[in-house]
Amino acid sequence: MNNKTVFRGVFLLVILGAFLFRLVLLDLRPMHHDEANQAVKFGNLLEKGEYHYDKNDHHGPSLYYLSLPIAWIFSGTKFASINEFTLRLIPVAFGVGLILLLLLLKGGLCREAVVFAGLFAAISPSMVFFSRFYIQEILFVFFILGAIASGWRYTRNRSPGWAAAAGFFAGMMFTTKETCIIAFGAILGALFLTWVFQKGSSRPIKPFSWTCIAHLLLGLGAAGVVSWLMYSSFFQNPKGPLDSVLAFGTYFGRAGEAGLHSHPWYYYLKMLTFSQYGTGPVWSESLILVLALVGSISAFSAKSKEDLSPLFIRFIFFYTLLATAVFSLIPYKTPWNLLPFYIGFILLAGNGASFIIKAGKNMFFRGAVVLVIGFGIFNLGMQSYRANFKFYADPRNPYVYAQTSTDFMNLVKRINDLALLHQDHKQMLIKVITNPDETWPLPWYLRSFGRVGYWQKVDAAGDLAEIPIIISSIDKMDDLRPLLQDNYQSEYFGLRPEVLLAVHIKRDLWDDFLQRQAVR
Amino acid sequence: MIKKFFLFVFTFQCLILFVHGVGVNSQDTDKDKVVLKLELPKPMFVGTPRNIRSPNLEKITGKMRKPFYVPKGTKLLSLDKPVSASDMEPIIGEKEFVTDGEKSGEDGYYVEFGPGVQYVQIDLEDSFHLYTILVWHYHSQARVYRDVIVQVSDDPDFITGVKTVFNNDHDNSSGLGIGKDKEYIETNEGRLIDPRGVEARYIRLYSKGNTSNDINHYVEVEVYGILVK
Repeated sequence: MNNKTVFRGVFLLVILGAFLFRLVLLDLRPMHHDEANQAVKFGNLLEKGEYHYDKNDHHGPSLYYLSLPIAWIFSGTKFASINEFTLRLIPVAFGVGLILLLLLLKGGLCREAVVFAGLFAAISPSMVFFSRFYIQEILFVFFILGAIASGWRYTRNRSPGWAAAAGFFAGMMFTTKETCIIAFGAILGALFLTWVFQKGSSRPIKPFSWTCIAHLLLGLGAAGVVSWLMYSSFFQNPKGPLDSVLAFGTYFGRAGEAGLHSHPWYYYLKMLTFSQYGTGPVWSESLILVLALVGSISAFSAKSKEDLSPLFIRFIFFYTLLATAVFSLIPYKTPWNLLPFYIGFILLAGNGASFIIKAGKNMFFRGAVVLVIGFGIFNLGMQSYRANFKFYADPRNPYVYAQTSTDFMNLVKRINDLALLHQDHKQMLIKVITNPDETWPLPWYLRSFGRVGYWQKVDAAGDLAEIPIIISSIDKMDDLRPLLQDNYQSEYFGLRPEVLLAVHIKRDLWDDFLQRQAVR
Repeated sequence: MIKKFFLFVFTFQCLILFVHGVGVNSQDTDKDKVVLKLELPKPMFVGTPRNIRSPNLEKITGKMRKPFYVPKGTKLLSLDKPVSASDMEPIIGEKEFVTDGEKSGEDGYYVEFGPGVQYVQIDLEDSFHLYTILVWHYHSQARVYRDVIVQVSDDPDFITGVKTVFNNDHDNSSGLGIGKDKEYIETNEGRLIDPRGVEARYIRLYSKGNTSNDINHYVEVEVYGILVK
């Protein structure tokens, strides 16, 4: 691919494909527990301008502040008018944006490697799935790549602008997720190991100068300013920056606990290599893993050329190795936590694909390699389609994790239908008596209802005799039955696999509903 | 002409003032009442809940089923009896699984039918007094099957002599009438239905998806009874 125009055209197609894959039917999957948590937190910021960093949960403030402009443009300032599509546009934008960032890696990776890496990022099932998920992860990956890319540009021309940009991205990493400490550690470790293993490079790392130290301070200043602004909620919460540091204590503790999300060290690698649950389909992103291996080996054999830097690829290799090791050794694991190191695999795979194609001396070999990689890409695309449009809430999809069942939407519909019949409509009183982990995403879906209360115990919820709708966990049923007697119609709805919610509807409202149904 | 015009304007203004006055009065009445502002507790923010993929054979609520008494001579009638279904091509498994005697909740022991209202029908090959129908839809996960309706008849087409022995379609969404029976969570004990000695040869069991997905499953159906003399 020597022609610049061809490169630009292909890259544009990759971007368009990535955008379409992420954007289509964005509201198909019911809101996940975590998405709803984030959305309600964002709702407070949108409507009341309130945001205070919580050092115990929910990560940094960047997601909420970056959601504001998109919400203002698409849905206004009322939380009730925000929808899933609007919220998920934010991860979509950053999921596509990180592919655009690959252009900054020019010189570190050759053009072909940039295109392949872009293609893998565009269609990887895990990347697409979490680019349609309103949590911090894809933003975090974007900022990691931004910091690496800016750092790379800085090594090329030592300009203060790129130093400040790298600092800005590092600051944004810090304001996005507490796991930035792992990414920072992996980046620093990779820099050190690249320095150690720079032998054989025709362009060794230049020694640091006073100018570099000044630029480093500039970068740190940029990171500090961004972090301070965000964590202090733009000067509204002076305690925020301190809490952002204290939070590491909480997260260190959680990372080591064998809690709800404790999984074996090979959890991520197995998920990416081979997953099959029950009668479900086989899932594998092995193509990327194998090509990443090739790309890593090539980094230690290839010599510097005009269009690529083995040192940069070695840096990516060490970053990926260290980040994968740390994320794998931490017992706390969720599928989206693989993304910060998986982006390294994708870069290496881009390099691997380019290397293996160029390694072929004759056309037959090259053609065969292109065919095999092409088939692999097609297969990844099909998996991505399945993961996002067919198995989007199905536990047989490895990226589906504690996902809200599609049946939950029947509960939402039922309550909306009943509200149409009730004299108070959306001011109808709803009492939710559930365990905390069985409450979400109800607050998101009931956001347009004016009078909804949440309790954890039946006896704390007050008089239940005249409440039109009560939503309860199943383990509250024994306490509820004597209170509700035959005055309520109860229905079950799936919240998540193995977790059901019961909806208890006041008999007169239910009879009214049945009458309307009969008329229809 | 000018007088008439002013008279018209005056009358019109009076009318507006009157209507406005009535409005004000009604607002005054409303002013006596205000919407009671309730301070309702807010939801508690919590982290990612547990992800469950493993089978759960434990009961979610309630106790073990009490012993169920039937007349002496009651036998299992349904084992290996012919089964037909509304969905002629199951997604997974064979319709014969319904009466093959295997009740394991693992993969490979259940038949999966398409979405929406679907039924399976068992032919007992003779008329019996029915005393127990035991149904296992899918018990390796806590879920509720919707619109479970069990009908019996001597007519294979279920046009004449149809008797409904169980119906929990409380909103008539399957169109077979409103049922008064309760929904229930699937367990490895199965659901015991008491047909109270009703006489029939064919048993038809309906369902309409479940709380995990919109498809229909059967692990096993057992029918117990005594031959009609």
